[in-house]
Amino acid sequence: MILSPYFYSQAIKLALSQIWANRKRSLLTALGIIVGVASTTSVIAALSGLKTSVLTEFESFGANRIYLFPNRPDDKPRNLYPREKIRIKPWEVLELQTSCPSLRAITPVTEFGVSIASEGRELDGITVVGIWPDWHEAENRRVIDGRIFNRIDESGERQVCLLNQSAIDELRLPANAVGSHILVDGRRFLVVGIVETLQSRMFGGDSNTAEIFIPFSVAIKLQSTDYFIRVVALAKSADVSEEAKAEIQRTMRRIRGIQPGDPDTFRAEAIDRYIDQFKSLASGITAIAAGIVGISLLVGGIGIMNIMLVSVSERTREIGLRKAVGATPAAIMMQFLLEAMVLCLAGGLVGVIIGKLFAVGLTMIPGARLEHADVPLWAVFLSFAFSAAVGLGFGFFPALKASRLDPIEALRHE
Amino acid sequence: MIRVRQLQKVYRVGEEEIHALRGVDLHIGKNEMVAVMGASGSGKSTLMNIIGCLDKPTDGSYELDGQRVAQMSEASLALVRNEKIGFVFQSFELLARQTALENVELPLIYSREAGLTSRERERRALRALDRVRLSDRVTHRPNQLSGGQKQRVAIARAILNQPAILMADEPTGNLDSVTTNEVMEIFRQLHAEGQTVLIVTHENEVAAYCQRVIRLRDGLVLSDLPIAQDQAGQVIA
Repeated sequence: MILSPYFYSQAIKLALSQIWANRKRSLLTALGIIVGVASTTSVIAALSGLKTSVLTEFESFGANRIYLFPNRPDDKPRNLYPREKIRIKPWEVLELQTSCPSLRAITPVTEFGVSIASEGRELDGITVVGIWPDWHEAENRRVIDGRIFNRIDESGERQVCLLNQSAIDELRLPANAVGSHILVDGRRFLVVGIVETLQSRMFGGDSNTAEIFIPFSVAIKLQSTDYFIRVVALAKSADVSEEAKAEIQRTMRRIRGIQPGDPDTFRAEAIDRYIDQFKSLASGITAIAAGIVGISLLVGGIGIMNIMLVSVSERTREIGLRKAVGATPAAIMMQFLLEAMVLCLAGGLVGVIIGKLFAVGLTMIPGARLEHADVPLWAVFLSFAFSAAVGLGFGFFPALKASRLDPIEALRHE
Repeated sequence: MIRVRQLQKVYRVGEEEIHALRGVDLHIGKNEMVAVMGASGSGKSTLMNIIGCLDKPTDGSYELDGQRVAQMSEASLALVRNEKIGFVFQSFELLARQTALENVELPLIYSREAGLTSRERERRALRALDRVRLSDRVTHRPNQLSGGQKQRVAIARAILNQPAILMADEPTGNLDSVTTNEVMEIFRQLHAEGQTVLIVTHENEVAAYCQRVIRLRDGLVLSDLPIAQDQAGQVIA
């Protein structure tokens, strides 16, 4: 039995007029759907906003960056893997530099706390960082005044340093600090450049931290035998960052003589991995939100079913009449299914609008990092699809009941 | 037009079997105007429901406009009702929120004729309203119409698809004597224009508009006489 387009247009018109005629009842009935859709769309909006800000930050941070840390294999006794065995040594970093063609820049980084003094002040427990000249490229931090380290600084173990603005402020150095001297652990260092302040709020934390950089060779010497080295490297492009990571892992296993089957004594990680972790976290939260909407739509659906049963019972005579003038059971069924779906879709529409308004509100919360919050198109479609499905699912039983009414009985109904 | 043979209808209420129709034979020709009368429990409603394709007989045959309809499926019967039968009910059964025109157009929603333009639908509905002399009430809603006007809208809806038979079940039961005449005049006029009409009533004044009266009792035809003889018999009785 094929129903005519005229049937569908009339059925939808009738559904809308039913909703309008019983607007209070319709609103209360659709409330479950409205709340469900509104809360999910706003959670999705907030998440997608957060995702956009975080990914933008990752991007500026450098998606092709790779980190290398010493790492004791899990579940292995400490005595089999002593600190000395897993520690990254300076010569290993040199070997990596020559053996990894996919790298654009590589630098060891070693940090230690010492006392610092200038003419104006003395500070204790300041972290000094030992770096190669490649560090600027690897970490994407330029100097805004003076120069970076050169090979002679490194090979000659020259006592030169780079500062950031906070260090200049804390040491009460003149505004143009290049050319000044500071004392690091009692030794006199020449300030040769000023490093730009960290841009990222998420990584490296507070841009107000004082930072002091010295040549890597000098830093190792100052720490005697107990030092800790990590490595920061930059792949030639984001596309080859996985390859670059594999090169580092291969080289490390080779130079450390790790037998096949034995675990790594180091850990190499590309930034991608953090992005993936964040993405999977975000999709996890989205899935939970979807689960919540499932529950609220279930509750909403029961309301829809209830009101549709009331509607069928109220309109029994009308159903009888429609059957008398030629409506087939299928036509009656379709009409009531359409009514349930239209009611749910109207609720979904209101829910999406409220969710959208929430999203706009979220963008206005200062410091919440949600300035990109918006309801994505797929969430709008999904909301409507879910609403229609609820109408279909929960409208089925009332519609079936209506379609099975005996026209004679229905017309006699009071 | 209508040919009914040995029609039986048995209802089962719990253990008990109720024989509503016990073998009714009936023939109603084209362009007849027939009244069906009988006390409640006579089987009159059951017969009308079966003739109107709202119900199926337990046994017997029923031929409507050359079609054997007794054992058709529910969906096929709906189509037969849509195309061949026009119903008029005692309490009008108009949709309260729709205009007279929209009420009259209702059967077209379920029509098999695909691709009717809205202009064509309106033309047909307006013609039906014109035949019941309601051209000036097209956009009125039921609550703006008198009882007689409501019943005329219902008649217009019933004749929209030019049905083989127009069936009216106590069409004047809710009307006073003045409007009863108004509505019965419409039936008489439609009959004069060639419409086959079947009216269920218990009022002799209504039956008097018809040519022929069929009286039922206990599920059987008691008498089937031309109006003059029937009315004479009633007077004697």
